[in-house]
Amino acid sequence: MKLPSLRLPNRIGWRDHAIGASLGLAYLAWLLGTVRSLGFPRDEGVYFHAGTEYARWWRSIVERGGDAFQQGAIDSAFSSNHEHPALMKTLFGLSGWLFHEKWHVFTDASTAFRLPGMAMAALAIWVTYLFGARAWNRRSGLVAAILFALMPRVFFHAHLACFDVPITAMWILCVYVHWRALEVRSLGWIVAAGVVFGLALDTKLNAWELPFALVPHALFVQRHAVWRALKAGRIALPASLVSMAVLGPLVLIALWPYLWNDTLGRLQWWFEFHLHHDYYNIEFLGKNYFSAPSPKSYLPVMVVATVPTVTLLLFLVGAMDRGAVAFRRVRAWVGKLLGRTVEGAPPRDPLETDLLLALSFLAAIAPFFLPKTPIFGGTKHWMPAYPVLALFAGRGFDLVAAAMGRALPGLDRRRQLATQALLFACVTFGPLAITEHSHPFGLSSYVPLIGGTAGGADFGLNRQFWGYTTQDAAEEYLNPKAPRGATVFIHDTTWDAWARMQEEGRVRGDLRAVGAPGEAMFSLVQHELHMNEVDYSIWIADGTDAPAYIVEHDGVPIVSVYRRP
Amino acid sequence: MSRTSLQRWAFAALPVVGLVELAAHAIQTRSVASDPDWEAARAYVASQAKPEDLVAFAPRWADPIGRQHFGPGLATLEREARPDETRFARALEVSIRGAHLPAFEGWRRASVQDFGSVAVTTWENPAPAQVIDDLVSLVDPQRLRVSRGDSDCNFVHGTPQSGNLGYGPAVPGDRFACPGNGFVGASVVADLDYVPHRCIFAPPPGNAPLRLRFADVRFGHSLHGHHALYVEAERDRKGAPVTISFKSGGSTLGTVLHRDGEGWKPFELETSSLAGQRGELDVEITSPGGDRRLYCFEADTR
Repeated sequence: MKLPSLRLPNRIGWRDHAIGASLGLAYLAWLLGTVRSLGFPRDEGVYFHAGTEYARWWRSIVERGGDAFQQGAIDSAFSSNHEHPALMKTLFGLSGWLFHEKWHVFTDASTAFRLPGMAMAALAIWVTYLFGARAWNRRSGLVAAILFALMPRVFFHAHLACFDVPITAMWILCVYVHWRALEVRSLGWIVAAGVVFGLALDTKLNAWELPFALVPHALFVQRHAVWRALKAGRIALPASLVSMAVLGPLVLIALWPYLWNDTLGRLQWWFEFHLHHDYYNIEFLGKNYFSAPSPKSYLPVMVVATVPTVTLLLFLVGAMDRGAVAFRRVRAWVGKLLGRTVEGAPPRDPLETDLLLALSFLAAIAPFFLPKTPIFGGTKHWMPAYPVLALFAGRGFDLVAAAMGRALPGLDRRRQLATQALLFACVTFGPLAITEHSHPFGLSSYVPLIGGTAGGADFGLNRQFWGYTTQDAAEEYLNPKAPRGATVFIHDTTWDAWARMQEEGRVRGDLRAVGAPGEAMFSLVQHELHMNEVDYSIWIADGTDAPAYIVEHDGVPIVSVYRRP
Repeated sequence: MSRTSLQRWAFAALPVVGLVELAAHAIQTRSVASDPDWEAARAYVASQAKPEDLVAFAPRWADPIGRQHFGPGLATLEREARPDETRFARALEVSIRGAHLPAFEGWRRASVQDFGSVAVTTWENPAPAQVIDDLVSLVDPQRLRVSRGDSDCNFVHGTPQSGNLGYGPAVPGDRFACPGNGFVGASVVADLDYVPHRCIFAPPPGNAPLRLRFADVRFGHSLHGHHALYVEAERDRKGAPVTISFKSGGSTLGTVLHRDGEGWKPFELETSSLAGQRGELDVEITSPGGDRRLYCFEADTR
């Protein structure tokens, strides 16, 4: 029997959407399968609460009609965590209401709250695949999407009801839609560019960096038209930029009711809050940073320490290839200016895809080379650069696969496929194993190049933040060992997070959280350099310096649990 | 291999890197020191360590695991929160991953015993100091009187008080309670590098001197010590300096200044004229500003 051909048409179309969506759904399934083993970080508790309030307000429109639009009603709901825009928190809240309260799809309310964030990770994978498939070929897109998914830090943050993976998804979606709008130039794509930019603005502050990539790119793509118009005394701007400039802020304000009153004042407060954001503690190379200036080496070192090495090498291969193409183009252009003919000039890309990706990558990482940019978020604040990093890695894989094909000529189709599958396995199994092993200690995990988790500790890199590992201490020690009604000093974990862990049966319900080691039978220390002082405080309070139990990852202390003698 | 062949097969570097990364991950995640290794090392150290020996763990991040396995009998507070290593004639360093503490550079490596992934290195100090009296161990109403300005600080035996991040050093149960909520007592301070040091917590109030009078101190040729402020009190470098003066028999032995940002700062005062004698030692601590001067010092005679 002859099997039907699985060959896809050259044109990128619905089948590619199906492939991208399937990759995203597979990732979503993986995230859902592992989500319960991840405790609640400090920020998540705040967003659960804010999301619940926001969703309640949207529901109140139906219940209360016009009264819901009174400033008092809006502000009472949206004042909660108004330093971040509302889109994701609204989705967290609506998801919690629908998938937990109403339809009982998820037993844990937290899983329902986290679903939109996980779905955003799936969206990022989908778009990354499509972008790579359209920009180069399906092989590039496929490998790009998978290598993006198999970054341990991405996997960690993708579980959370936070904004870092959502803004990563919205960032790459915005870049993609902008790119398509410049190609297709239909009203639909142009409107979509504005709407998606607005959604990105309503996701996280990083979106304000997007114009630094999109504006110069669009102007460069349409430079001849812009120049011609200028010479004629007119101003002609790319329609997608106009759409973003007009629709973007409108969408932001429309979906963030907090801005409906005192709009300018509240926007100004929002910017000022982030421009003068507090510095939190973060360890880097054995030193605790708690104020400006931030070390310029932070981003490059952390990228090398947390992104699988094979992914970075493929990125370098892909980026150098695109850089070489750009160099040849510039050389040909200079030659033309000088009236010389330059051999081997690459064909012009009317969409300037390489330039767009490069600008998008640079816009996402550039702020972290400024001395005043806080670094307390670890790698999460520059994650919007990672889909682009993965796209270049996908391109790199494509080049390597092509080189392999040239080195092994004469293979029949089946053998070609087998060697390509082997190559694919060689570059993805490592990232898969590292990512799978990192869970749930994604913030403690470092790549083998620097020695894994223990290597990260040797180098003095941050072990964790947000106090989310209390759940591990409970599962491994407190739940089975603590006497009934015992008191627990929960250190960096918030009261909300503790209460929710008890509500969902992750922590025994009879255990009582307290705020000081001196009041506790059990005291937790979530290990971070600056948290050492809490450790020493417990030594005096408990009269012993020996933990009863330690939650470890690859032999590295994550949480010490003290039991008062 | 010709250049053309090299170019032809250069692509192979990428899958090789992928496989090496996978193999390295497998090795790294399976080479963790096991509990039996730690327990075997503990049994060895327990059989070898004398009370005056140092027991230390390397790398520093492994310290909690060392304390868990070795317990407070071997990983004592005096060893863990030591002022420095000069007083120890011998150190048993328990290490994983081939790490060593920089403090032992210049010491003689007497022996190394391996217990699986855990190694115990015995180091000998080429020039150990002979400590005669350690002031931190004299924080006791029989040996110490404390006053702040004109008010005496009474010794109390209460319960320790501690807090979360930012609270400062824990308040020990045994302490001299000063009027206005201050106290003097032996606690553990996190220095600028977040290293623990057992010391006498003695914050100057700003408007009056804090005085400590130690009785029956045995003097040697020097008074050796360190001082610091709790890390969050001095890391911003905005606070007033703290001055500590040592006197005995009416004569000043020395005055030392601590400025914010200096961390765990050592000092050494010459006391040869008092060597072999016993007497009172007066300590006066002052600061022009009392805001968050969470000051701690330790000293010994040697």
